[in-house]
Formats: sequence, structure tokens, C-alpha cells
Amino acid sequence: MAGMSPSERRLQKELMSLIKDPPPGVSVDAGIAEQNLLHWIINMEGAAGTLYEGERFQLQFKFSNKYPFDSPEVTFVGPNIPTHPHVYSNGHICLSILTDDWSPALSVQSVCLSIVSMLSSCKEKQRPPDNAFYVKTCNKNPKKTKWWYHDDSV
Amino acid sequence: MASSSSTEHTVKDNAGDGAQNPETKEEDKKDDSMFECNICLDTARDAVVSMCGHLFCWPCLHQWLETRPNRQVCPVCKAAISKEKVVPLYGRGSSKQEDPREKVPPRPAGQRTEQEPGNSFSGFGFGDNTFHMSFGIGAFPFGFFTSTFNIGDQRPHAAPQGTQQHMEEQFLSKIFLWLAIVFLTWLLMA
Ligand SMILES: [Zn+2]
Ligand SMILES: [Zn+2]
Repeated sequence: MAGMSPSERRLQKELMSLIKDPPPGVSVDAGIAEQNLLHWIINMEGAAGTLYEGERFQLQFKFSNKYPFDSPEVTFVGPNIPTHPHVYSNGHICLSILTDDWSPALSVQSVCLSIVSMLSSCKEKQRPPDNAFYVKTCNKNPKKTKWWYHDDSV
Repeated sequence: MASSSSTEHTVKDNAGDGAQNPETKEEDKKDDSMFECNICLDTARDAVVSMCGHLFCWPCLHQWLETRPNRQVCPVCKAAISKEKVVPLYGRGSSKQEDPREKVPPRPAGQRTEQEPGNSFSGFGFGDNTFHMSFGIGAFPFGFFTSTFNIGDQRPHAAPQGTQQHMEEQFLSKIFLWLAIVFLTWLLMA
């Protein structure tokens, strides 16, 4: 691990642990991450017994060299974007730990688990009410969005 | 905008636990990770503990506090946290083989009084350190400038135009000017 920046060292540790001991329904594409530690693709399965059971999703993580002080940019990518009140059809996710409530003690694994849990607690599959407008007007980077978080349990 | 509040979905973990030495026994792994910094996931160096009991490297925690100066909370449990209220940990044989360039502002409680002068040039200088450092060196480039502009017109021994010496002086003064500019830019960026 010599010669690595602090962010690379941490990402390397996270990658090793995610490869070795992935949480249920989550797996990292090790090939892509090893090519460029700042860009990961995570495969995610909808949890059994939820509205997303049997579905497969892909999450993209982009890290800056200020990680973990700076939050990763996390979006759904690929052919299947989950239909969920907090997930826009362009893959952007409205989840406060990805911006305002980010903490350097969080990790790729804990972000994935939060997203699994967010999907699992969904009662009705639907897009956010402002989806059409948001997708047309938003910045490509969801971290540039000034999200307005509120406490609902969906 | 629709959203999901963090608290209920947030799951804390400690990625990287014992990832480096697969041979160690399970119990050993747990013991090791007890002393891992909650930010860099390495064994904490210059360790400090918050009032809520969470362990960090002082450089890591310091950088986090600088990142969010207006909202200083423990990265793990979100309890209020401040520089003054963390406790440094001193193990047996601490304060040895550290690379001095990696030292960030001295840990609170000021036990380590020795000050290596080279410290302030490290790329890791934050906050107060950086400020004082730039200020101290800041006098230099202006000195450069005045001497640079004086060459050629006020100096009694200025060489006549067109001679070899004159060209050399012009060349030198240009170099000095560039040095001064580069130096100033560096100061501004630092
Ligand atoms: Zn650390
Ligand atoms: Zn805490």
C-alpha cells in the first residue's frame, strides 16, 4: 500500500473488505474498481420480500481525492433504475447521507446498506412527483443539487 | 423534493476490519480493529478519543473539523465534538518514529512541546499553522521585487546598453522577476 494517497489507501481497504465479505445482495465489480480506485460499480439485488425482489440494479460510485472527507457521488446507472419516490429516472438519489449528512465514518458498504434499506421500506413504486422537471433541469452531478430533505419514512 | 432522511437508513460499519492480515485469528482481528481510526481505517496514529468515546487519528479528525467548521459533530455518532474536548491517548513508547512532515497541528493538551522547524512546509498544514507560515515568509517576495526593479535604472554601476553585461543583467532580472512571481503564486495557492 506504499505510495498511495490517504483516499486511495482507504478505498483499497474498503474494496478488499467488500470483496471478501460483501453484505447480502451487494457485490462490487472488482475489475472496474481495481482499474481506477476512484470509480466503482456496485451490483445490487432487490431484497427478498420487498417490492424490488428479483430486480437487479447497478450503482455507480465516484470518489474525489478528498474522500472520505468529501462524500462520494452515487447514482443508479444501467438499464434498470428502481422506481422509487426518492430515485429520479436519471439515477439520481435523494438521500441525505450522500450530501448534508455525509460523515467520513460512513463507507461504500454503509451507503449501499442505506440504499437497500431505502428501497426495502418502499410501500408503492412511483417516481418522485417532480421527476420530469428535475431530470430536465438538474446538474449531471447529483451533489450539485440542493436537496430538500424531510423526514418521511418511505 | 422528495427525499429520505439519513438517520433511519444509516448503517455504520467498519469496512476494512482486519482486511490486511487474513492469517490472523478472528479474535485478533477484532482486537486490532478496536484501535482503528474511524476515518482512515488504519491503526490510529496520534490517537485522540472524543467525549463520546470514538477513536480517531488526530490528523484525520482535525481535517474533518476543518471541513465542516460550522457543524462540528462526531463522524460516528453525531454527538457534538470540539478540538478542546478530545483526549489524546499516549501509549507506551509513543511519540517516536513518525514522519515529521505528516504532523498536523499539535494535538490538544500540548504534551508534545518539541517543535521541528521543518514542520510548517508540509503539505498537510492546516488552519492556524498555514496562516502564520505564509505570513512569515510573505515578506520575501516583496524584497525580491524591489531589488528586481532597481536593477538597471538606479544602480550606479549599471552596465551600458547593448553590452554583454547589460544583457546578462536583463536576463538575471527577468529570472528574479519570474522567481518572485512563482513564489507569490505559490503563497497564494498555499
Ligand atoms: Zn485516521
Ligand atoms: Zn461519537
